[in-house]
Amino acid sequence: MAAKNSVLSALDADLSIRVLNQIPTPVMAVDKDFKIVFMNEAGCTLLGLPLDEITRFKCSELMNSLHCGTPECRMNQAMDNGICGTARNEVNIDGRAVPIAPLKDDAGNIIGGVEYVIDITSRVRDEQKLREQSRTIMEISTPAISLWEGIVVLPVVGVVDSMRAQQMMNTMLAKIKESSAKIIILDIQGVAAVDTAVANHLIKITKATKLMGCRCLISGISPAVAETLVQLGIDLGDVATNATLKDSLGEAFELLRYEVRKSK
Amino acid sequence: MTPARISEEVHIDLALPSDNAGAICTAKRLAGQAGFDEAGQSLIATAVSELATNILRYGGGGEVVLRLIHEPGRSGMEILAEDHGPGIRNIERAMQDHFSTGKSLGLGLPGVKRLMDEFFINSKPGVGTLCIARKWRRL
Repeated sequence: MAAKNSVLSALDADLSIRVLNQIPTPVMAVDKDFKIVFMNEAGCTLLGLPLDEITRFKCSELMNSLHCGTPECRMNQAMDNGICGTARNEVNIDGRAVPIAPLKDDAGNIIGGVEYVIDITSRVRDEQKLREQSRTIMEISTPAISLWEGIVVLPVVGVVDSMRAQQMMNTMLAKIKESSAKIIILDIQGVAAVDTAVANHLIKITKATKLMGCRCLISGISPAVAETLVQLGIDLGDVATNATLKDSLGEAFELLRYEVRKSK
Repeated sequence: MTPARISEEVHIDLALPSDNAGAICTAKRLAGQAGFDEAGQSLIATAVSELATNILRYGGGGEVVLRLIHEPGRSGMEILAEDHGPGIRNIERAMQDHFSTGKSLGLGLPGVKRLMDEFFINSKPGVGTLCIARKWRRL
C-alpha cells in the first residue's frame, strides 16, 4: 500500500505541475524570504526567463510592482497573517507596465506564499477610456448660459466631484467677468446626489461669486434633495435656494427690478 | 448586525475620483429596484456618495458593495464600504457633527448614520475601515 501511495503521489506531483503549466495565467510560489521557488510556464513567458534562472531571484526583483516592498504587499500579508488576499496591482517588467488583479495569496503552513496573476491590461485600458469619456461628458455639460441682461444660468447635470466643482467655479467666475453678470443661477436639479462634499462645493462657489459682486441663487432643490440635506445636517446658511429654475429667475428679476409684462 | 437574505449584489471598485459617479448611479438604480420612492433613492444614493467620497479621499481607494436585502416583512438596501487605508484613529470623534481632519464640513459619517436605519463602523489604524449601512422599507 505504502509503495502504491508513493507512486500515486509521484504521479500526482507530476500531474499537478503539468496542470499548473497549462493554466494560461502566471502562478508563482515564494519561500519566506520572497525567493521564487516555483513559476509556471505562463509566468516564465511573462518574465521572458527560464525557470532555473527565475528561481535565483526574489519576486520583487522580477515583478517590480507598485506594491513590492510596501505594506500593501499581499504576499507579505498572507505570510504574516495566514489569510488569502486580493489586490489590484501593476507590475513592471522590462519597462512594460502590466496591471494585474486580482492577486490572490494563500499560505498553508506559512512556509511561503503562492500567488496567481490575472492580466487585466485590456480591462484597465477600457476603464481608462470610460473615465476619459465621462470626463469629456462632464466638460461639455457645464455650460454657462447668458439668460438675460445680467443673469447667467449654469445648469449642472450628473455627478459633482471636486474636479468638476473646480471647473464649475472657473466657468462661473470667467463668465461673470466676461458678461458682468449681477446674478448667477446654479441649477442643480440634474445632480445625482447632493452630499456634504457637493454642498461644501456649492457654499464655496457662492462665496467666490459674491466676492466678484455677483449674487448666486441655487435652484432645482427637489423634495428628495431637501429632505436629504436636512437629514445630513447641512446648513446652507445665507445661500438663496429655490425649488425651481422658474422661481429663481423670478427672484432674479425682482432683485434687478425687472418687470416682465404681457403686451396689451 | 444580523445577516439578511441577499437577492442581488453589485461590487464597485473605487480607485479614481470619477468612480464615485458609477457608485451613485448604481445605488440609485438598485434603490429603485428595491421599491424605494424618489426621496428614498436620493437618501441612499447620497449615503453611498458620502461613503465613496470618504474612501477616495481618505482611504486611498477601496470598494463599495451594494446589496438588496430581505427580512420577513421588509426589504431594503445594504451598503458595505471598505478600504485598506490608514483607518480612523478616533471613531467617536469622527461620528460627531462638524468634526473633520480634512477641510470638509465634517457631517459625512454622522450624516450617513442619520440617513440610514442601521449603521455599523469599524476601523483599525493601519488596517482600514469597514462601514455597513442599511435602509429598510416595510412591505
